[in-house]
Amino acid sequence: MTNPLGTRLDATFKGVELRSGVDGRLAVVVPREAIVPVLTFLKEDGYDYLQLISCVDWIDRGEFELVYLLSFYTEDEVGRDGGKQEVLLKATVPREQASAPTATGVFAIAEPHEREIHELYGIHFEGHPRLTPLFLDRDYEIPPFRKDFDTKQYVADVFDRVPPIDEEG
Amino acid sequence: MRELELYFGPQHLGMVGNFSITLKVEGDRILEATANPGYLHRGFEKLMEGRSWIKNFPMVCRINLVDPDHMEMIYAMGVEKLAGIEVPERAQFVRSIYLELARVSSHLFGLWAYANMLGFDTVSNWAMYHRDLVLDLFEELTGGRVYHIYVWPGGVRRDFPEGFTDRMVSTLHSIGGCVPDYDTTFFNNKLFSERARGVGVVSREEALAMGGVGQVIRATGMKYDVRKVDPYAAYDRVPWEVHTRDDGDAYSRICVVRDEMIESVHMIFNLIDAMPEGDVYNRVPNPLKWKIPAGEAYVRCESSRGELGLYLVSDGGEKPHRVHFRTPSYAHGLAILEKTLVGANIADVGNIMMSMYVVAPEIDR
Amino acid sequence: MDRNQLMKWIKAPTKMAHKYSLNAVYFCTGCGVIEVPPTITSRWDAERFGVVPTATARQANLFLITGYVSVKTLRAIIRTYEQMPEPKYTVGFGSCTINGGMYWDSYNTINQLDKYIPIDGYIAGCMPRPEAIFVAVTHLWTLIDKDMADGYKRYRKNYAAYRANQEMILGEMEWPPIFQTEVATAITEREG
Repeated sequence: MTNPLGTRLDATFKGVELRSGVDGRLAVVVPREAIVPVLTFLKEDGYDYLQLISCVDWIDRGEFELVYLLSFYTEDEVGRDGGKQEVLLKATVPREQASAPTATGVFAIAEPHEREIHELYGIHFEGHPRLTPLFLDRDYEIPPFRKDFDTKQYVADVFDRVPPIDEEG
Repeated sequence: MRELELYFGPQHLGMVGNFSITLKVEGDRILEATANPGYLHRGFEKLMEGRSWIKNFPMVCRINLVDPDHMEMIYAMGVEKLAGIEVPERAQFVRSIYLELARVSSHLFGLWAYANMLGFDTVSNWAMYHRDLVLDLFEELTGGRVYHIYVWPGGVRRDFPEGFTDRMVSTLHSIGGCVPDYDTTFFNNKLFSERARGVGVVSREEALAMGGVGQVIRATGMKYDVRKVDPYAAYDRVPWEVHTRDDGDAYSRICVVRDEMIESVHMIFNLIDAMPEGDVYNRVPNPLKWKIPAGEAYVRCESSRGELGLYLVSDGGEKPHRVHFRTPSYAHGLAILEKTLVGANIADVGNIMMSMYVVAPEIDR
Repeated sequence: MDRNQLMKWIKAPTKMAHKYSLNAVYFCTGCGVIEVPPTITSRWDAERFGVVPTATARQANLFLITGYVSVKTLRAIIRTYEQMPEPKYTVGFGSCTINGGMYWDSYNTINQLDKYIPIDGYIAGCMPRPEAIFVAVTHLWTLIDKDMADGYKRYRKNYAAYRANQEMILGEMEWPPIFQTEVATAITEREG
C-alpha cells in the first residue's frame, strides 16, 4: 500500500499488517502486544481523538476482534482527503482467557469503553484502573454480548419464570 | 470536616433523566464523583443483531429519545454505505432540513431542562411550547410526534406535503420572533450569567484529551463540527457558520446552543431556497429478504449533542453482525463529567450536567 | 359544580381531594418521559387536571412509570414506590410496561411490570401522546371514585408474593420488607 503512514508503521513495528480499509480509512492489524505502542505512535503522529473502542465476536474463528477507531480534531473545513485519514486499528484476542493490554495510559477516554467491553464481552484489560460493572445489575454466566448468549432463552428462563401475582389467593 | 458519600439520582429533582452519580463530599464541596449509568441499558446493540436490517429502524431511534432523528440518519447512512445505495439529490436536502428541525427541537428541549434547572420557569415553559410547535410540523410530515422513522435507506419515506414548507417557514419565523424575548429574559439576564458563568469549566486540553465533542469543545473556541469536517446530506451545498465561545463554562455552552439554533433556522431557509426538484427515494431490494454484502462501515454525523458515530459490521446475512454506536454523551457523561464535578458545589451538579447535555439513554443504550 | 359532584365532596372529602391533586413523582424511568415535559408545561398544562410533578416521593401520590424498566431501575422504582404514602396510584406508561414492548427479548428489561408492583392502569402505545395521559388521568378519577384504584391495598395484601417476585429478579435487596405479613393482614382487615 502506498500510504505514507502505512509505510512508516511498517518500518517501525514488526508484524503489522496493512489492509485497505473501508472508504479511504487505513486499517491496521497488529498483534495484541503491539496495541499500546502503535496507539502511542499514532497519537504522536496527530491522531489525537480515539472515537471508539469496539469489539466484534467472530465465534466461528474462535476470537474477538478489538477495533480502535482513531481520528483527529481539526478546525479546517476539509473533507477526508485533506492529507490525513482516519485509522482503524484491529487486534484479535482468543475467546478463551480473553485479555488485552489497556489503552487508558494513552487515551483517557479508553477507560469507559474498556469497562464496557469488559462487562459485555468478558475481555480482561490488564492494568485497567477500575474494571467494575458499568451497566448491569445482574450477574450473567456468559457475558451478554457474546454470540453464544441467547437473549430469548435468557428471557424465558428468568423473566418469564416469575409468576404473576394471584390477587384472589 | 467529615467526608460523606452522597447518592445523587436517579430519583432526584436535580437530575433530569435516569442517571445517577455517586459523590464523595466534604461539606458542600465535591471531592470525587463516580458516574453510575445503566438504569436504561436495554442492550440495543445485542437486540439489533437479532433483527433484520429494516426492522432495526424502530429500534435505533429509541436510543436517544430527545433527538431520535439523527439516530435514524446515522443508521441509514451506515446501511447505505454497506449496501452501496445512492441517495437522490432532493432527498439529501430533505434530510438536511429534517435534521436541522430535529436539532432545533432537541435544543429547545435542552433549553427547557437547563432553564428549569436554573429556576427560569418562564423560559422553560416557552421553550417547551416552541418545541411543541416543531413537533406539530413533524407530526404533519411523518405521523409521529416523537419517533418519526422518516429517514430510510435510499432517501426519505415521502416528500414534503403540499404547503409544508410554507407552514414550516411561518412556524420558524414565529419561534425566531421570540429570540429577543429569550435574550432579555434569559441569555442577557444577569441572573443567568451569575448562575452559569465560571461553573463547570472544561479547558480545551481536557476536553480534547477525553474525547469531548459538540458544544463542550465548541464552547472552548474549537471550531469542530462534523457537518463541516466530514459533510454528509446537503450541508456542503449551502453557506453556514460554526459558532463558538471561548470560556468553556456552562454559560458558553448554553450560548453556543442558542447560536446554533438560530444558525439552524437560517440554514433551513437557505436549504429550502436551494432545494432541487426530483425523487426523494431510491427503491431498495425487498426489505424483508434483504441481504447486505459482508463488510464494515464507520459513519459519523453531528447530532444535536455532538459527534455521533456508528460502526457497523455485516457478515453477508439478513441481520447485522455487530452494531456499535459512539454517542456524544458517552464521553461527556462518563469521563468529562466525573472530572468537572471535582471541586464543584453539590448545587451545581445538575447545572453542569445539563449544560453538557448529557442524555442518559444515549450512554446506556 | 353540579349536585352530583357536591354530594361526592360531602360524602368523601378526602377521596375527592386525593383525586383532584395528583402529585406525580419526578422520576424519569424510561423514554416515555419525553412526553411528560410537554404535558406539564404551558401548552398541554396538566395542572388543569391537578397533576403536578413533585420533588420527593414522600409528597407524591401518583407514580407514572414511563416506559421500559431495566433491572437496575426496578430496584429504584420499588424503593420509590414503597416510600410514597398511601393512598398511592401507579400508571404504567407505554407498551413496554405491559408486556415488554419492543424490548420483549432484552436480557436487561423486565417484561411485565405488574408482577413486581401493583399497577392501577396502563396507557398503551409508544409514545402515548399528551392527550392519552389526560385520558388516563380522568379514567383514574373514575377508578378512585369507585374505589377500584386499589393497587396499594393489593400490595399490602399480597406483599409476600410481591416481595418474593422482586427478590427473584433483584436477588438480595438492601432494605428490609416494609410490611411484616401479619402487620399487613391486620391493616388490611382494619381498613379493608
